[in-house]
Amino acid sequence: MSEFEIEPGATKDSVLVTSESFDNFEQMSSSLEEIKYGNVKPNDDPNSVLTDDNQVESTSNTAETQSANANVKDEYVENSIDWTNKKKHVFVLSTAGKPIYSRHGNEDKLAWLFGVMLGLFKYSHDSIKSIHAGDTTYLFLSKKPLILVAIWKTKESVNQVTLQLNYVFNQIVSMLTLRRLIKTYDERPNYDLRRLLTGVDRLIDHVLDFSENEAAFTLGAIQCLPLALSDRDAISKAIKDACGKIKNLVFAILLGNNRLITLVQMKKYHLHPADLHLVFNLVQATESLKYSESWTPLCLPRFDNSGFLYAHVSYLSEDCQACLMLLTVERDVFFPLSNAKQKIVEKLRISGCMEHINASLLAMEESALASGFSELRHYLYKCKSTAQFYQPALSPPYTKDKIKLMELYKRAYQKMHCSTRQLKLSFERSFDEVVFSWDTKGFELYAIFEPLIDTQKVIHCVSKLLDWIKKREDKLFHLNAYTF
Amino acid sequence: MGTANKDIEIQNFFIFNSLFGPKEGEELKKIIYYYPIDDNTGVQVENVGLVEGIIQFTQTFNPSNPVTSLHTSKMRQLYFQPEPNFCFVLTLTLPVVTKIKESISTIEYMEDDLQDNVYESCLKQLYYMYRLFYGTFESTLANHNLDILKTQIETFFNPYLKTIKMDGLDILTIFKGIQYLPLDRQNFLKIQCFINSLESKWEYIKHTAFLYNEHVIWSGLEPNSMQIIYQYLIETLLPANAEVELQGGSIPRNSSLPFSALKHGRFITGPSNLKHAKTIGKIPKIYLFDENEPKEYHLVIYRALSATLCLLIDGSIQLKLNDFQRIDDHINPKISPLVNDIAEYCSKQVVTPSNSQENSPKFLYFNKLNLAYKSSVHLDNKQKGNITCSKESLRIMADMKNASNFLGPAGENIVKTTNDYWVFSKTSNLREFYIVLQQKNASLVDISEDVHRLCQNELEGIFFHPV
Repeated sequence: MSEFEIEPGATKDSVLVTSESFDNFEQMSSSLEEIKYGNVKPNDDPNSVLTDDNQVESTSNTAETQSANANVKDEYVENSIDWTNKKKHVFVLSTAGKPIYSRHGNEDKLAWLFGVMLGLFKYSHDSIKSIHAGDTTYLFLSKKPLILVAIWKTKESVNQVTLQLNYVFNQIVSMLTLRRLIKTYDERPNYDLRRLLTGVDRLIDHVLDFSENEAAFTLGAIQCLPLALSDRDAISKAIKDACGKIKNLVFAILLGNNRLITLVQMKKYHLHPADLHLVFNLVQATESLKYSESWTPLCLPRFDNSGFLYAHVSYLSEDCQACLMLLTVERDVFFPLSNAKQKIVEKLRISGCMEHINASLLAMEESALASGFSELRHYLYKCKSTAQFYQPALSPPYTKDKIKLMELYKRAYQKMHCSTRQLKLSFERSFDEVVFSWDTKGFELYAIFEPLIDTQKVIHCVSKLLDWIKKREDKLFHLNAYTF
Repeated sequence: MGTANKDIEIQNFFIFNSLFGPKEGEELKKIIYYYPIDDNTGVQVENVGLVEGIIQFTQTFNPSNPVTSLHTSKMRQLYFQPEPNFCFVLTLTLPVVTKIKESISTIEYMEDDLQDNVYESCLKQLYYMYRLFYGTFESTLANHNLDILKTQIETFFNPYLKTIKMDGLDILTIFKGIQYLPLDRQNFLKIQCFINSLESKWEYIKHTAFLYNEHVIWSGLEPNSMQIIYQYLIETLLPANAEVELQGGSIPRNSSLPFSALKHGRFITGPSNLKHAKTIGKIPKIYLFDENEPKEYHLVIYRALSATLCLLIDGSIQLKLNDFQRIDDHINPKISPLVNDIAEYCSKQVVTPSNSQENSPKFLYFNKLNLAYKSSVHLDNKQKGNITCSKESLRIMADMKNASNFLGPAGENIVKTTNDYWVFSKTSNLREFYIVLQQKNASLVDISEDVHRLCQNELEGIFFHPV
């Protein structure tokens, strides 16, 4: 098959840093100090970026109130059959074996298990990676100063769950910064980290569910809310105009329905999809953000894991459930940002963009069938150069079994990206469906067809589909990047 | 790019039983066998301890099967518990590639190049081969004692481990298949008559198998038993004899030639030269586990021209020299014309020309029901890396084999690799078919048409469910 010339969704200036989703999670793209002191005197007071305890307490406090009932965990008799048969266990412990997190059951009651896991880890000279026993896989991931363990009975691959554990680690780092995490354990190796992480359990629970069910995590990409190009440009411009004069504002993110509406950023600085996923996770998991403007420190580990950004978070208005997050390196600019937000809201209301956002938030995306692809059940299209993807609405038979669909995609993605045997194309037929995967220079496509379709029809349908996406690319993707 | 690479090697192999040293300080007693012997006892005890820890830890979460493998950053450990409380552990080093980038060389461990399903099969085979000659551990313990068990295990594994090369293993190791020789009715009936007359003349001959070169023509054994005996014949016994028979001459590459020089039949287990023999020589005893009770047999092997005749003789019989003389008198005159007929038939069935070209599609077929396999990927069945396609494509086949669990009872898969060749697999009705195609500019549609044609040509008459 000849490579397609068109590459729907591609654009010259991508708003996101792009990388494979199985990539090295430690690499950072930027430095906060550079932003803050880049134009003034360098190394003036590097420690001020590091927040003091008060700042962290304030996060924890908000988090605590937000999750007043999060501590009422489901009651399990740990080690009962019900508990052992959970689809996926996740544990986090310190290198001294202190329990920090358990997805199912109370960590304190599982102290014995944390002891065993630490023992195995040490006994293998810190080199243990995974254990395989029938339907169950056990994964150990060392992320200094923590150890993360997952035990699962789903069909996910080791790489996929490693990715999930990286998100869990990054979620912890985003609340503390890596610098503080390491410092805490350097000073007190036996420290009970849960004291600093009150309420973070809920975010970890959520990021685990989120990363299990959302294709965005598997693909390492972001899905945009469909909007006309002119609307998206107008929104970006409104944000740029309102915030342009505010010093040291790094990112302005507008999102709704778990989709990106727009992202405006400081010149030269880019956001990594993995960080954006954490932002989505925070917004999704925190119901209370809907009711008031919030101010919270937040570390974006792929951007700079050593310090905090400060986030002004608010929903646009009661009648428009899009969430605006303004991220700055300054810790005391709540009011200027609050004003800027008001200006943005006014502009969007006047220009009618608010209505368009609402319309798009309410509109159901079309299924592939409704778009005229009769034998195509569902697909994921990822534009590699922008780390954005598009998927149609679910259609039968997957409306009732989204897990099955995600399993198909995860397996297809894993197969295409096996470290030593990467594939360009795969056509796989089972009793239930045909899974077609295609990895080209510009894009990746994973498509699920009716089981009896032949290859000729698949190829025909795929080229039609690419044309279809190309025609709608300015609506489905974020193409024009705006900077402050 | 790659320099100073290292292949997969055995780091250690051990067998232990936790019940043999339950008290602290007695850990060494648990170890029944440990290879290599130069690992000191401290290391041995530590290694066993880790495995025990892993077995216990994994069981906490109620897995559907006992633990089978451990991946670490530098090695792979595989487990097999063939009998209650006995655990086989095989530790392999990961293959290493040294990459030089901007004059800095880095070592990379190729985790994905060591495939669990291939090496799990290899570990299982170690046990089944042992069991063929010595029976189960439990029966040895019941009839003898631990010291004898240890001696038996040492006698078997010390030389056996040295002969195994871990590097050349691929999907064939998973199949452990048997190559059959299809014959015309006439010739097949002749062989059947020959075997029937043999089995009815000597009642103590319980089972018989007839091979031509390395292909089975007739086997009266259960497939599972034949599988392991076949492995023994092909990998150990016949190659060893081929060298004796050729006596210094170079070994021809083509597997159909090595034995053709032999004029007269002779026993290769048993008295080697009937005229001068004073004793019956060494005859291996084997144990088969087809029924509830294991059965003991003498494995007597007779070779004439390119044919190999396996006679499984009731283990309770005391064989005498004149038994062999009488069997030889019966076989020798009959077998030569039989073998000549087969050779003549085979020479007419010249290998299909479609497979002679370098770039022609290579295929591999396996039937789980009779364990038959056919391969144009492998030039011989010695598993020494004598293959006609890249190692990578064989690994993709093993990946596909793994994925077939997801596809259900029937499925097919076509993939294109980054090097622009294609691998196809099809599973149906317990049969598996794999094809490697090296066609750079082909499209998916071309390839699926080619594959369809190949399936019809190569597998004519073999029933596949239409998928």
